[in-house]
Amino acid sequence: MIKDLQSLIGAENVRSDSVALSAYSHDATPLFNGLPEVIVTPQSTSDVVKIVKYAAQTKTPIIPRGAGSNLCAATVPLKGGIVLSLTSMNKVLEVNKAEMLAVVQPGVTNLELDQLVEKENLRFVPDPGSRNVSTIGGNVATSAGGLRGLKYGTTKNYILGLEAVLGTGEVVRTGGRLVKDVAGYDVTRLLVGSEGTLAVFTEITVALVPRPTDSKYGVAYFDDLAAAAACVDSIISSGVLPSTLEFLDNTCLVAVEEFANLGLDIKAGALLLFGDDGEGDVVAQTVEKMAEIAKKASGIRGVTLAQDVAAAEALLYARRCSLPALARLGTLSILEDIAVPRPAMAAVVKRIEAIGEKHHLRIGTFGHAGDGNLHPTIVINKDDAEEVVKAEKALKEIFALAIEFNGTITGEHGVGSAKLPFLEKKVGKANMDLQRSIKSVFDPANILNPNRLGS
Amino acid sequence: MSEKFSQDKLDRCISCGYCLPACPTYQLTGAEESSPRGRITLMRAVQSGTLEPENLLAESGFCLGCRACEPVCPAGVEYGVLLEEAREILWQGKNQPLIIRGLFLIVGNKLGMKLLGLLSPMAKERKSNPELHLMLGCFERRLYPDVSKAAAKLAPEVSVCKEQGCCGALHAHNGELEKGKEMARQLGEQLSGTIITTAGGCAAHLSSVIGRDRVKEFSEYWSTKDSSVSKVQINGRTIRVGLQDSCHLRNGMGVTQEPREILKQLGEYVEIPNAGGCCGAAGSYSLLQKRNSRKVVSQKVNDIKALNLDYVATVNPGCTRQLVTELRRAKVKTKVIHLAELVAMGTK
Repeated sequence: MIKDLQSLIGAENVRSDSVALSAYSHDATPLFNGLPEVIVTPQSTSDVVKIVKYAAQTKTPIIPRGAGSNLCAATVPLKGGIVLSLTSMNKVLEVNKAEMLAVVQPGVTNLELDQLVEKENLRFVPDPGSRNVSTIGGNVATSAGGLRGLKYGTTKNYILGLEAVLGTGEVVRTGGRLVKDVAGYDVTRLLVGSEGTLAVFTEITVALVPRPTDSKYGVAYFDDLAAAAACVDSIISSGVLPSTLEFLDNTCLVAVEEFANLGLDIKAGALLLFGDDGEGDVVAQTVEKMAEIAKKASGIRGVTLAQDVAAAEALLYARRCSLPALARLGTLSILEDIAVPRPAMAAVVKRIEAIGEKHHLRIGTFGHAGDGNLHPTIVINKDDAEEVVKAEKALKEIFALAIEFNGTITGEHGVGSAKLPFLEKKVGKANMDLQRSIKSVFDPANILNPNRLGS
Repeated sequence: MSEKFSQDKLDRCISCGYCLPACPTYQLTGAEESSPRGRITLMRAVQSGTLEPENLLAESGFCLGCRACEPVCPAGVEYGVLLEEAREILWQGKNQPLIIRGLFLIVGNKLGMKLLGLLSPMAKERKSNPELHLMLGCFERRLYPDVSKAAAKLAPEVSVCKEQGCCGALHAHNGELEKGKEMARQLGEQLSGTIITTAGGCAAHLSSVIGRDRVKEFSEYWSTKDSSVSKVQINGRTIRVGLQDSCHLRNGMGVTQEPREILKQLGEYVEIPNAGGCCGAAGSYSLLQKRNSRKVVSQKVNDIKALNLDYVATVNPGCTRQLVTELRRAKVKTKVIHLAELVAMGTK
């Protein structure tokens, strides 16, 4: 196989030494790993076509991979196969201010793209916590979310068109450059979030928005997370739609403060980071209004507004670092990603706390309060077998909890291998059968990221 | 020699990948194994026995050891220590590079250090404040004697003791971790009180062993002094000057603002793009990995050229040597000078 691949795309783009295989044996998901047989780094769409056709003929699994920063084991080669590393296809092909779009190859990182379009006063909206490393290809494959979901939506709202290679090696173009385009099924939307199981993206057309000129942020401290959740409810019921409503419980707050040294009130039970972006006065008014609502909320301990952009950036950065900062507390942290209807949040966070107490587990919860997306994170000692078992039990209960409240098992991280066993419970049998049928049309040989989603 | 990595340090990494964009070698290859996260994966495989240690050899040499991954790591992984451990496990016997063997021989004993200082016009022996000592460095005293001379002249309160050994950073970074720590401890006993060093790399190693409170890098020390400097002039105009950070000073000790503030007083300060990125000197790296060292520095040479600077100030002798060599090769006229020497020019 190695020789065949070398002759197809050049020896320099094929690696199979034990060092490379070992390095690509996992992604950012704990507890999942497996050795691939070979790593290939295609340089063009035609390279991808050659690899996929070869894999289809030989029935070899292909695991498309960007930065490997996903948290659902979507890119771990559990059954060998070819890791298709797309990081070399990292060119921005076009930034078009008039059409407010960019055309990129999949290996461009989220931050690189956003920094580039900033020069045109534009913004690429999706901002997952991993934005400095994660690739646009990976963002599309998982329909990555981020801190702006409530006001702006997630990756799925910003993908206009794709060039993708199907499991047969055929190249399809979906969508295009338009906001309005209903010619045919919305295959673009189907491919977004398909986690490498339906096609390999080789070119992505993304929608951009004008970069807001102003932003303002504040922090409110509460006695507990449920009080913060209730406050979020009041804010949104009052008719404002802010760009940022993030919260952390005390466990996260302490861990983040230890890393970032921002002078946060670590005695508080919860922190709510609120903010908005847009035009000067409007932003100031929205943020003032949120601060006023917070001041009157029950369980409130204090409200402060960030004095300048640097202070606000520091707060946002600290929030993005919640997970790694939490990880300092143990040797293994299992991050979950449920989402529930916003009004249910206060009840759900209380139930999560109860689950932690019941199993004697340390669970730190942070999340995107504005869109009901919660990241309960279980921090344990990986060598403590009993604790690992308890964590697994707690996870199942958390998933069941989400479904009980009409929520979902994953809001933005994806299903991958980590949540596949729970997928049918969430979507139902008929939907699962449909997903399997779809998979077989796009990838009849079942080579694209097999054993995931509809496989 | 230790056989294993510190498990608690390996456990810190959660494989989030936030380090990837900060890593110069990952930027060169785009290969996971040339990233801090990838290398830690390999270390774990070695630790658990699924990968033979020899497989780590190439990457342990390719890594610059610049520690740019550390300040961007929210999980607090001490990658620099892990790399030192990797080299301690691997760079033994036939795997110890010959150049390293030679360098160890010179700096590892009194005679070698004496020879390095012999006839070198470095700072003269003197007894001032017994609780303040200037460190003379090992190769710095031979290659750049003017640096210690400038520092001694600027800070007359500081004692200079010529009978001093090497801080052991060279050993610690190249496979002799324990010996490197022992050398630092000895130097700490030899020079009482606060040790002032003109080398960022030495400062970071020394402070990691004898304590952060006992070590002050020159710009840190100068910033605490109540001294004024005037603008340095060339042909009747103020100089344009940039800074090349010392990786370990920046990433290991968190010192970034002090040298910049001083340079702003000395001339028109221009931030070189990616000034905090490694210049490829990386201690012995420029000797052991010549081609890669040059690849790492190439963009920096272009950036410096484009800025049309009079001076690039450095805070570590390795960076001085690398930039002098590479700017000369590229026929860039910008002069490379240690910060202490430039301060001396501004206090005439």
